[in-house]
Amino acid sequence: MAHRSSPASGVESQPSIPSSSIVSINVSGELFQTTTQTLSFSGAGSVLAALPAGSLSFFDRDPALFSSLLAFLRSSLPPANPQDLLPELLFFRIDPLLLLPKFDPFSLQRSILLPLHGRDHLSALATAAGGSVHAAHGGKITTFDSTLARRDTVLTPLPVIDSLLSVSCSLIAAGASDFPSVHLVDIPSGRVSQTLAWSPYPLNASPPAIVQAIGSSPEHLFASFESPRRTASAIVVFDLNTFAPVTEIARREIYGAELDSAIPATKLKWVESFNLLMAAGSHAGPSGLTGNIRLWDVRSGGSVWETAEKVDCFADVTPCDHLSAIFKVGVHSGEVFVMDLRKMGDGHSAWMCLGDGRKAMGNGKKEGSGCRIESYENQVFVSRGGEVEMWSSVSMAGAGEKVMKRNLMGRAKDAGGNRIVQMVFGGNRMVVARKDEHCVEVWESLR
Amino acid sequence: MVQEMDSRVKFNVGGKLFETTSATIGTASGDAAVQHHEPLFIDRDPELFSLLLSTLRSDRLPSTATRFPKRALVEEAIYYGVAPRLRSAMAPPPFLGINATLATTILPASHALPTAIAPGSHDGSLWIAHGGQISSYDWSLTHSSTIRTHLDDITSLRRLSPVVAAVGSVDSPGLHFYEISSGSHHGSTHWSDPSDLRVYKAWVTAIASDVDTTNPIFAVFEAPHRENCIMAVDRATLQVVAQFGRLSGSSSKMAPARRLTHLPDRGLVFASAVSSGAFGYSGYMRLWDARSGAMVWETCEPGGSGGRRFGDSFADADVDVEEGAIYKVCWKSGDVAMADMRKLGDDPWAYLEDPGVRNLAGGEGSFLHCFKEQVFVGKAEGLEVWSQLDGQFRRNYVDAKEDAIRGTITRMEGGGNRLFLSREGMEGVEVWESSDFSGAIAAC
Repeated sequence: MAHRSSPASGVESQPSIPSSSIVSINVSGELFQTTTQTLSFSGAGSVLAALPAGSLSFFDRDPALFSSLLAFLRSSLPPANPQDLLPELLFFRIDPLLLLPKFDPFSLQRSILLPLHGRDHLSALATAAGGSVHAAHGGKITTFDSTLARRDTVLTPLPVIDSLLSVSCSLIAAGASDFPSVHLVDIPSGRVSQTLAWSPYPLNASPPAIVQAIGSSPEHLFASFESPRRTASAIVVFDLNTFAPVTEIARREIYGAELDSAIPATKLKWVESFNLLMAAGSHAGPSGLTGNIRLWDVRSGGSVWETAEKVDCFADVTPCDHLSAIFKVGVHSGEVFVMDLRKMGDGHSAWMCLGDGRKAMGNGKKEGSGCRIESYENQVFVSRGGEVEMWSSVSMAGAGEKVMKRNLMGRAKDAGGNRIVQMVFGGNRMVVARKDEHCVEVWESLR
Repeated sequence: MVQEMDSRVKFNVGGKLFETTSATIGTASGDAAVQHHEPLFIDRDPELFSLLLSTLRSDRLPSTATRFPKRALVEEAIYYGVAPRLRSAMAPPPFLGINATLATTILPASHALPTAIAPGSHDGSLWIAHGGQISSYDWSLTHSSTIRTHLDDITSLRRLSPVVAAVGSVDSPGLHFYEISSGSHHGSTHWSDPSDLRVYKAWVTAIASDVDTTNPIFAVFEAPHRENCIMAVDRATLQVVAQFGRLSGSSSKMAPARRLTHLPDRGLVFASAVSSGAFGYSGYMRLWDARSGAMVWETCEPGGSGGRRFGDSFADADVDVEEGAIYKVCWKSGDVAMADMRKLGDDPWAYLEDPGVRNLAGGEGSFLHCFKEQVFVGKAEGLEVWSQLDGQFRRNYVDAKEDAIRGTITRMEGGGNRLFLSREGMEGVEVWESSDFSGAIAAC
């Protein structure tokens, strides 16, 4: 957020504000005066933004907290006590996301550990638009509010949740690779409001399919299903509002021994600026890891581009909308590769290696095994074992070329830890799940 | 004191009334904007206003200000246009090595081992290069930005202007210019020599730049074949305007300078290089005429000047720009010597002696820095300061024994009224300040 008031050279140069535009607010006996302009920063839907100029209103709230809230609206500097202000924000109907500082990738620090009760390990993470964080452990989902000060836990019928996606503020989609159907869980009531099932042969009454990945676009919810016998897979597109199935894409069935044909997608990512769905899946076979990455046009149901990964297959892959590119970590080399979405190539040669490319290939070592890659805003984050590295772009003067540069994250004390299995982003935060841990690790950019 | 009625000024800040005088807020009493019978309404936070008003009245920030983050105070002072007053109220007193404490340690968020530092010469702000990034901290040492450069290891960092950094790395060719707030790359300067094909992809080993002048900046370039020279680069065009001091790099006396200082009043550039080997330290100091490119003076150790202290060559040297003196610390004895720049000759060194303190160890791995007419020497045993008393130098320790344990000082720079230093293998930059607070500790 930019500084909202233009710095003045002195008080004397301030234009005097006509008394008619002043809004007076009596908060439990204490008088506050401000302007409609300041109050408008609280967002269109808020009670404060609706107060007319020249009016005097009364609110039965804590004046000290209101003072902090007003100071925040005036200066846009994040308040020192966000968790105290959250009830005030709810009362005045202000978006809690407003309170979070801007995401600054270079000032991300490991700042908070959120413990999970019980004995189940953290298995999946999701962030919601409002800044809250959802963590699945076993069949339970614990939701932390946007200030990470409060939590709530609900129980689902799933044994171990391994796909989690926030659909709206209160609704979460959860899936498991050993249990059928996507479950839509309503957090406030703690109930499964709907299940979304798919079966490859509906007429044969075959058992419903298990869930390999969940993704979403502004209009649709995508689920990658695989039949329990692993003979058929498909991505089903649901309407995000009604959850009615819209279409089925990427249907694959195995006939005979052609295993590669039916690798289900284990990662679904929507590429907003291209209106395409990236679906990627890999399979460890006798000839090593092979996989494929496809870009789907959801409307036509056809694949726009696809690549079969045979040499240095991806350990993980992600699109980055801001950089119009797809990034992957090679499972053998461990290097980060990039492919421009505007000029897609074919095969291994189409990938451009971001590192020095000196890492030996085919020495039998799997440098990139278990690596995760995610993009957020202009950065690409790669986990290697217990560490995270961030790739940021530097534009050079003159030729105007951009170079991607690697940054290590954290200080010496942050190094190490169990292997990272998932990284999700939201607001000013990176949320990390590590293998066999009972807590959620939060990295925040602090100012 | 009763003050005249017409010099009084009334404010309504966010619903709270304030009354002060035009003298306090520093406006002419006849100013129309504040001469209202009605209080002037300002839509800002009343508590912050009250703190700033108090600062304007007494030039002291009330202790209740700690309730607010420094950043909120600074932004508010910028809004009211009183940032210089707040700065003078919050700034540390004049820096004295004999009365300095570790005020804080600045830790960048990631990759926190500093590889170069550049303080602001007047305001005590700081830029830290770490892991290819540059983090900037303002005069209140609040983090203002972190940018990523294309370099992976920045080994030289200087201020070209308050917003532009000149950076160089011994791993990557060229001298580069980055805007510190936006991170945009302004351009690069390279050393090229059409007559010598060996000169290509030359990297920078040291930069000298004085902010707020139109003087060129100077940088030492070294080519892969060890040829090196000093280049003068124009501040505005970023073009090379002169090159001098070309050396072959074949021996330690021909090596590229690792320390470069511009003395604008004398028109000289001070360059020095030191290397340590099996037979001790060897190196040189040279003074170059910045305009003609001619060498004015040089001393090479060991050998060269010979003199009284043969075999005790210098481990580090720095030039005191204001005083016009060169200081060195000897590697074997740990002694500090001074050379007056007005009478440099074969052996201009006057060894500083303090009968009170004896050298415990030698000067191996020392770092010497001249700041505010004091000489700071970081040694393995601690940080010592040489201060002048009636023309005599007296030596004292700045730090306690516990401080020295944190590691050998690898770099030290003064700026504003602060001394910034980094230590071997230690994350972050230590900020040392003089303070008038007693630091009283509750005993019960």
